[in-house]
Amino acid sequence: MAEQLNSMLSLRGLTRRFGGLTAVDAIDLDLAKGGLVSIIGPNGAGKTTLFNLVTGIDRPDAGTVHFEGQDITGLSPERLAAAGIARTFQLGRVFGNLSVMDNVLIGAHTRLRAVKPAVPAIGPLLELGLALLRPASVQAEEERLREEVKAILARFGERLLPRIDQPAYSLSYANRRRVEIARALALQPRLLLLDEPTAGMNPTETSEMQALVAELNAEGLTILLIEHKLEMVMRLSDRVIVMDEGKKIAEGSGEDVRSDPKVIEAYLGHGLSGTTEQESAA
Amino acid sequence: MTASAPEPLLALSNVDTFYGQAQVHFGLSITVARGHIVCLLGGNASGKSTTMKIILGLVKPRSGEVTFDGASLLGLSTPQIVRRGIASVPEARRLFADMSVRENILMGAFVRNDREAIAQDLDKMLTLFPKLGQRLSQRAGSLSGGEQQMVAMARALMSRPRMIVMDEPTMGLSPLYVDRVLELIRTINQEGVSVFMVEQNASLALEIAHEAYVLQTGKIVLSGPARALKDDPRVRDAYLGGSEAA
Amino acid sequence: MSSWLDYTINGLIVGNVYALVAVGLALIFGVSRLINFAQGSIYLVGAYIGWVAVVQLHTPLPLTIIVVAVAAAIVGLIIERFGLRPLQNSVRIAPLLATIGISFVLDQLVMLTFSPNPRALPSQLPEVRFQVGNGTIGPLDLLIAGVGITSALLLFVFLRYSKLGWAVRAASQDRDAAMQMGVDVNRVNQAVFGIAAALGGVSGMLVGMYYNQIDTAMSLQATLKGVVAEVVGGAGNVPGAVIGSLLLGLVESYGVAVFGTSYRNLFAFLLLVVVLVLRPNGLFASARQAPPEPLTGTFIAPSRPVRIPRWALAVAAAGFAILPLFPVSFYVLQTLINAWLLGMLALSLTLVAGTIGQVSLGHAALLAIGAYTSALLSLTLNVPVGLAVIGGGLMSAALGTLLISPSFRLRGHYVSIATLAIGEIVSLVILNWESVTRGPIGISGIPPLSLFGYDLISPTPIYWFSFAVMVVLALLQGRLLTSHLGRSFRAIRDDDIAARAYGLSLNRYKSLAFIFGGFAAGVSGGIAAHLYSYINHETFNTQQSILALTVVILGGLGNVVGAILGSVALVGLPEVFRIAAEYRILIYGIVLLLLVRFRPQGLLGTM
Repeated sequence: MAEQLNSMLSLRGLTRRFGGLTAVDAIDLDLAKGGLVSIIGPNGAGKTTLFNLVTGIDRPDAGTVHFEGQDITGLSPERLAAAGIARTFQLGRVFGNLSVMDNVLIGAHTRLRAVKPAVPAIGPLLELGLALLRPASVQAEEERLREEVKAILARFGERLLPRIDQPAYSLSYANRRRVEIARALALQPRLLLLDEPTAGMNPTETSEMQALVAELNAEGLTILLIEHKLEMVMRLSDRVIVMDEGKKIAEGSGEDVRSDPKVIEAYLGHGLSGTTEQESAA
Repeated sequence: MTASAPEPLLALSNVDTFYGQAQVHFGLSITVARGHIVCLLGGNASGKSTTMKIILGLVKPRSGEVTFDGASLLGLSTPQIVRRGIASVPEARRLFADMSVRENILMGAFVRNDREAIAQDLDKMLTLFPKLGQRLSQRAGSLSGGEQQMVAMARALMSRPRMIVMDEPTMGLSPLYVDRVLELIRTINQEGVSVFMVEQNASLALEIAHEAYVLQTGKIVLSGPARALKDDPRVRDAYLGGSEAA
Repeated sequence: MSSWLDYTINGLIVGNVYALVAVGLALIFGVSRLINFAQGSIYLVGAYIGWVAVVQLHTPLPLTIIVVAVAAAIVGLIIERFGLRPLQNSVRIAPLLATIGISFVLDQLVMLTFSPNPRALPSQLPEVRFQVGNGTIGPLDLLIAGVGITSALLLFVFLRYSKLGWAVRAASQDRDAAMQMGVDVNRVNQAVFGIAAALGGVSGMLVGMYYNQIDTAMSLQATLKGVVAEVVGGAGNVPGAVIGSLLLGLVESYGVAVFGTSYRNLFAFLLLVVVLVLRPNGLFASARQAPPEPLTGTFIAPSRPVRIPRWALAVAAAGFAILPLFPVSFYVLQTLINAWLLGMLALSLTLVAGTIGQVSLGHAALLAIGAYTSALLSLTLNVPVGLAVIGGGLMSAALGTLLISPSFRLRGHYVSIATLAIGEIVSLVILNWESVTRGPIGISGIPPLSLFGYDLISPTPIYWFSFAVMVVLALLQGRLLTSHLGRSFRAIRDDDIAARAYGLSLNRYKSLAFIFGGFAAGVSGGIAAHLYSYINHETFNTQQSILALTVVILGGLGNVVGAILGSVALVGLPEVFRIAAEYRILIYGIVLLLLVRFRPQGLLGTM
């Protein structure tokens, strides 16, 4: 299939059970290179578990994950990061005691070359030696990455740059989310998974974030997005997938999904029928 | 806005809450009138669940006041607050998974010592939640999400509370159960129990609530009678980033 | 030669004893998610209270059991109330460190009260054996079995039918939800600590009677055995703890039957390491669990380290360097030499426990590996001492990392248990591998320190040598911390899941931290071996591991300057105040407790 060939990420029958509960139930998903697909659904629908399965934090009980045509099912998160998959976390997992700069530098870890030569067996020892000796090549690499981090932080205006040396635990909730996204960008990902990037943000901050995500997508970055704020989802996504109780209950363009009665029933709530009409009219 | 409402049962006034250095609530003020259902709406990470935790004494605000029936709740432990007459239906149910359904429901009566009345109340719960009758000796963890929600509600009622606080009671439930849960909340309320619920699903919550508050990044941005808010486009603008309910 | 049936009976009886300890650990873990490292100390206290009752008060057996149970329960309640309850809202490392501190304080108090010499604890039961098949069983065996079974029944009834028992079960499944039902978690904790302590105390008394001997070394062994049994059964799983205990008793008993008595503990600890690596949730845990989602930075407290200007550090270093040029006594130099050696160990531990968050309780094993390697290289292969010490450091780095690598998959408390067990394994291997280590005799006649053919005999050159080595190690470690490895280590400590999601391999970076830290510890051990000229398997013991941990907490986790400052303080201050040696460990334990309670970030702050 043409779509399959083009696809950056492709899930088939992905399933994860916890005890009696099927958190992710036979999910199929295709994400084309350069595309942006959103996953919506009520809290507890299995969206974050799906992210965990794609990024190797958790392993599926059944089904496959293909990334750029390669079967990556069950690979470790380290390998997936090296393959170019970056993610943010719903709960905001910054490294609390690290400065903003160091947090984002960790994002660039997979791109370290000079200090982390790809030599088998003694590679780690070389890395230790190079970290201590710091020849010019290593210093130059570190300097280059630091400049790059500043450029990434500049994308967030004056939100993070003035706090570059502050420990992450001292940041506001919204700024921690920004640090997470900056850290993900430092990986120079081919696929970016964003888990509710606007949680805890006010409308101004939300629209800033929406603009940033749109910009990243326009620059060619492939994005899988979990988001509750539907307007943002409608504006940004090529396609929307609706999950409920672990299952995919609808898929299509924003407009299709919004008017799908199943979606309204399960996700938006049946009490909303009046509102939906208003929305459709609007 | 609730000036005409009866004397408040629960009142939060000017509450500021912090997690470490991050501020979660900014001068939060909420009142729940006697016999009313009040709903707190907001997106993820807006500070909704923390509001629940403040009421239950699981998190202490840095400043502000929380009163229940005229007396301050600050400085009381969670068990003491429960003894004052506040029961809870926690987020994601939080049943005691390895205990039986019967034990779970009876745990709700932990603060009571009137054995016979407890036994009667258990029977009453089984009329209110007939499905649980066949499940009494099962492990609570083996039930479906909807059944677990029923157990969580029965458990909360067993303490004969004056008020129940509920954190996203419809989360992860199928439509059938969502209906059932909403109906039950109404029934419980009609029997005289005040309800304070946190919900993400605005339209559902506004169906049954008397008053509602909209929380956004720790501030109340909108509040008023639920009927008025239901058609107010600002609700959606305020917390869904200008979209419909999510 | 005893029969297999005898070994089976012995295994089950010993298993019953372990069960009394392990059930308490499981109850506490269930409610508090805490492995109580002080459980063995309560067992020790129980044994000594039993001795007082039997030998001095001549109480009849039933009364002895009641006295021991009540007294131990009171100790348990005191630990809960004053040691742990104040830490309820602290970061997770705090109660872990507190139970370690409490354990040391209790053990030392017992030692100071009763002297470290073993005592006989008569069983008060007739010395008869009944023939059962081709084995025998005595009244004491029956008593232990009876106490074990009765306790299990009482516990079952308590948990199943009493209101407080329901509260315990509810709290262990969901603490917050239990509180929302009106359960007073403090009362639950009290109940659990009281029960655990009563069972542990009675267990210690029964073991004392079984072997007709008690001594202060029982404590650590009991903690380890109880933890092994509990972890094998699945942490927090009460019936699992009973089964794990019986299994452990049998494994040990059959192991002894086949390989001999000195291998008893080796089997227990190997079983622990195997279970931790293969089934960290215990043998009976159901399928894969949902991955835990800890919030960031909850293991250690966030803090801003105190920045000391470089010139101040340079001035201080220069001051210490020229100290021997002034008329100071050899005694002062000797004390500071000890501080520098401890400083190297603390540098190692602050990297491992502080920077990358692996709270090792077996760090003395790294000293031992370095010391034995250096001693044997210089003695048997005539390697020059300077090179031998470096060899000791390298061996400690390599072997230590290899041995500890099974624990790289673990987190928090489990790392501490695993490293404690691995430390014990090293000590047992040294004891048993006679052809290389000379076994219990130890190694004597180790040549003195020498450099380029010059022996360093007098304190002044030894002082300079050890100070210089420590400064070099500290500078290297400081440089490491400012490299990409420093931030990688700290990222893994703060959130290992997020770190992995950004490509940081836990195995690789934990290995590098242990290699670097192992080298410093091995060098410290190597130098010590040449200073002492005699070492054996007990030279480097858990006390040193705990002392180093106290130093690290005192200085601030991960803080290089703090590690050295802490070493000087903990070695120097007792000398300044002329505190008798036997009280020092007690004081270290108390210092650790006070720090955890009042200044968890230490003097100079976490890095």
